Amino acid sequence: MRQTIQWTIILAVVGVLFSGCATKTTNIDINNDKGEAVMGLDYRDFQGAAQDMVESLLASGAVTKKDGSRYVLVVSRIVNDTMQHIDTDQLVKKIRVGLLQSGKVVVTTAVGLDGAEDKMSMHAREELRGNAEFDQKSVAGKGSMIAPDLSLSGKILQRNIRVDSKTQRVEYYFQMTLSEIKTGLAYWEDERIVAKRGSNKSVAW
Amino acid sequence: MRLILTILALFAFVGCAKSPEPSDAIVKVVGGCSSSDIVVIDIKGRKKSDGFMQAQVIGENRSDSYQNLEYRVVWLDSEGFAIDTILSKWNSAPAYANQPFYINATSPSAKAKTFRLYIKRDKEVICDKQYNGQ
Repeated sequence: MRQTIQWTIILAVVGVLFSGCATKTTNIDINNDKGEAVMGLDYRDFQGAAQDMVESLLASGAVTKKDGSRYVLVVSRIVNDTMQHIDTDQLVKKIRVGLLQSGKVVVTTAVGLDGAEDKMSMHAREELRGNAEFDQKSVAGKGSMIAPDLSLSGKILQRNIRVDSKTQRVEYYFQMTLSEIKTGLAYWEDERIVAKRGSNKSVAW
Repeated sequence: MRLILTILALFAFVGCAKSPEPSDAIVKVVGGCSSSDIVVIDIKGRKKSDGFMQAQVIGENRSDSYQNLEYRVVWLDSEGFAIDTILSKWNSAPAYANQPFYINATSPSAKAKTFRLYIKRDKEVICDKQYNGQ
């Protein structure tokens, strides 16, 4: 009888422990997030890298055209050479937004390494051209698309370094290059390093 | 039995100690740029030939320890409206002990006419200054 009571108390305490320690879900204030750093890349790292890249690009003058008009930019390949499953748009989209807001650059979605980024831009032309159902004056004519002047390429690298039996360091390198398509010359390049130190038990992927 | 209960009690206190978010994550404005050991000596801006505005802030860390400051520049257009941009997020600025530090920033577009600078240490804003000169 006494043993039954004891085990009932233990089970009750364990039950309370598990229910009481459940991590509460909260919304993160992304404008003032002082939550603990993680060994992998999180949104703060992408935000910081994108901010630095855009500022560096604008400060360099590489996107300022002499006649005051805007450059047409195409986004080339951004290689993910990390151990993480990263959608490189987490970085590139922020850079694109920043460049568009600068008023110095427009991005073409009609050209891309794997075909047009926005397939509709090509499809709509081919589909509607000569189609009697559509006013042909409103259909984009041949030769109306604008070819890109600049190409943005880059790479995200990861290096894992064992510091001692308990600690590891993970280094991430964000590298970007802006090349002129006509000449193939790189007008701007930059690199941002994000380094993290933490437990060897943490997995950085 | 007592031992098991003691261990469970200890586990209860230790296991629940950590919260996923700090409770004091609100930025608190405490004063101007010269009320602490971080002092802003000079703040200036210029319009470049391509229309972009450039800001330079020179400060001094008068303490005997290295401080990792954070700064934020809010860019304002000719009518005083804040320009929405990713360039207005908090950024880090190293301030070495007893040395001057420099903050350079470029405006997000040619629309910027003035800027407002915020510097914070930890979660505390220690400087809030607006540049209005042209």
